[in-house]
Amino acid sequence: MIHVSLTHYLVVSAFLFSFGLYGVVTRKNAVMVLMGIELILNSANINFVAFSKFGNYGLNGQIMALFVIILAAAEAAIALAIVLNIYKTFAHVDVDKINNLKE
Amino acid sequence: MNQSTFLQILPFIILSAGIVVAILVEIFTTKGKALLPAFFSVLFLANSLLSLAQINVSSNLYQMLALGGKAAFFNFIFSIGALIAVMSSVNYVKKYGANFGEYYILLASSVLGMMLMAGALDLFVVFLGLEVMSINFYILAGINRKKKTANEASLKYFLLGAFATGFVVYGIGLIYGSAGNTNLNFIINNFTRLLKMPLFVIGLGLFFVGFSFKIAAFPFHMWVPDVYQGAATSVTGLMSTIGKAAAFSVLIFAISPVTFNGAEHIFRPYFATLAILSTLYASIVAIAQTNLKRMLAYSSIVHAGYMSIGLAAGNVYSVAGIIFYLAAYTFMNLGAFGVIAIVEDENDGKTDLKAFAGLHKKNPMLAGFMALFMFALAGIPPLAGFFGKYYVFVGAIKQNLLYLALVGITASLISVYFYLRVVVYMYFKDEEEDFEIKTDYPGMFAVLVSGIFVLIFGVFPSILMKLITSVLR
Amino acid sequence: MSLYDVIFYLFALVTLVSAFMVVTTKNIVHAAFYLLFTFFGVAGIYALLGADFIAVVQLMVYVGGILVLILFGVMLTNKITNVQIRSGSTNLVAAAVVIGIFAGALLTMMLNTRWLVNPGKTLITTIPQIGSLLVKQYVLIFELLGILLLIALVGAASIARKEEREK
Repeated sequence: MIHVSLTHYLVVSAFLFSFGLYGVVTRKNAVMVLMGIELILNSANINFVAFSKFGNYGLNGQIMALFVIILAAAEAAIALAIVLNIYKTFAHVDVDKINNLKE
Repeated sequence: MNQSTFLQILPFIILSAGIVVAILVEIFTTKGKALLPAFFSVLFLANSLLSLAQINVSSNLYQMLALGGKAAFFNFIFSIGALIAVMSSVNYVKKYGANFGEYYILLASSVLGMMLMAGALDLFVVFLGLEVMSINFYILAGINRKKKTANEASLKYFLLGAFATGFVVYGIGLIYGSAGNTNLNFIINNFTRLLKMPLFVIGLGLFFVGFSFKIAAFPFHMWVPDVYQGAATSVTGLMSTIGKAAAFSVLIFAISPVTFNGAEHIFRPYFATLAILSTLYASIVAIAQTNLKRMLAYSSIVHAGYMSIGLAAGNVYSVAGIIFYLAAYTFMNLGAFGVIAIVEDENDGKTDLKAFAGLHKKNPMLAGFMALFMFALAGIPPLAGFFGKYYVFVGAIKQNLLYLALVGITASLISVYFYLRVVVYMYFKDEEEDFEIKTDYPGMFAVLVSGIFVLIFGVFPSILMKLITSVLR
Repeated sequence: MSLYDVIFYLFALVTLVSAFMVVTTKNIVHAAFYLLFTFFGVAGIYALLGADFIAVVQLMVYVGGILVLILFGVMLTNKITNVQIRSGSTNLVAAAVVIGIFAGALLTMMLNTRWLVNPGKTLITTIPQIGSLLVKQYVLIFELLGILLLIALVGAASIARKEEREK
């Protein structure tokens, strides 16, 4: 087998991104969609860190990964607050069933 | 850092400090609700004047944030827009059952995010600004926690918005990997070299797709009608105008210098497709809408389409046209939503066309302003909307994209129908629902200011155009 | 094959298999637990890339914070309805085909791009460098992130809090 290189990491990241995309598109449960989004953000972070190391671009890639993690945490907090609130008013979290808005 | 730089970052400092102070006021006093609207109005007014004064001086902060010039012009639009939104919120949130102090805090911090986006010189700052703006919008959309439609709007907006953020982040990752740098100036200067790397093109493509969600263009528009209808009217006004302007400011400034380097052919098909689909699809669907907020949501997709024509053309005229259009659109749409906010009743009542029947007899002034905004949105000369379209279409024709201009003109002819229908309802129909309209001073003031700007930009478009060309150089 | 390669394949396998399970399993609680392994695998990949600080942050924030939040969401929402949340899926084949094509295109390009590979020397620890970058080059973003987190806190509390008593 060939020695592990940048491409290996990129392939892992591309697969992770595709899985996340698949999860977001096919899931109906809001928490499940959120999990798909987390996968996408993680795949982007692998890219940042891998490029940062193999391209010898300094540590900016790692800093960006750090920012993305922080923002993911903020988003998750907001998401859970929204989901809980939806539960109070609707008593379920299926994205497709929440459909009060119609023309 | 010298004194002039300090003056230029003053709007950012004022706003950030204002947010923190407002949080403390909200925590330690019980008068927060009454104080905060006035506090933020003054703050936004100060910011708009400061930005206007800084428009001719341009510099940057740590190569991260552009100050003055285009960024200052956008900051001016954001501040005035936010001021109008705060004014029309004062009475509206009380009716809506959402009179919380944090409403204004979140509104102000969303504006901070927009200012970061408009001034970003680095992809990190673009991303950060986008997130600051979006996170606030997710919460603001659902600010009335008891109302089902608002909750639904909030959840839908969050899921689609976070998904779009994922695209933007992955795109930035690929751009960083191929360019080795996230500085926008660096990327623009090396653009021709970078375009030879397919992953750079894919990265930029994903970046654009993410932003296409935010500007609400056609294939990425599915959240727009539900969110715009479900969210509080004042919040809808905010995110459909200056929120969209912020997203376009990134697309313009990240893309326009790029397209000048002879690379426009790569992304022209993308933006042209967006433009054709958004304008034609949304203007036809809007005809079937009877809810005014939903109709304006589709109208906002149509307008995003017109502006995408400018992005597809990508020359100096069309970019200036887009900026003019954004400024004009901000005031016409904020005005229209301001009128709806005054007429609207609790529980989403009175947002139907029927509620506006015979408005002319009940409140001639309100009806007059609504008619003005509808004419402006329809693009009837000599109002602001007409010149916005005119400049964008001229830019497209100069770039030999006659078919795009023709599509745009067709869509504007179709959309005249649903804008004028509102006017017909107000002036030529008898009232169908008997109710009284309670006007309030701040709300009327918001409508008045928007109306004045629509008239000024329409009658003297050259004033604004000169300002825009001077910042574009 | 060196030890480094073996460890890489191990972590990559853990990450991808569990990520696949997250998006395909029908049970939401299982999905959340598979997500734990994905986050763990990604942390391992960071460590292999010499990003020790990011790896630790990944473990602390993702596994210790975000995942716990998600689990709380799953459990609280479960309790309220008293029904097992089964999440249905639609258009599976169509979605799989479209995303498969997209992934194929992405992979082809990644494999065919000749990257400018120039690995820097791996630092023993990256913490001092990251710390100084945060307060020098990226100080603006660092400060603004503080505001962002404050706002997220205010917003989340504002949505999820109990009803205020009318005075």
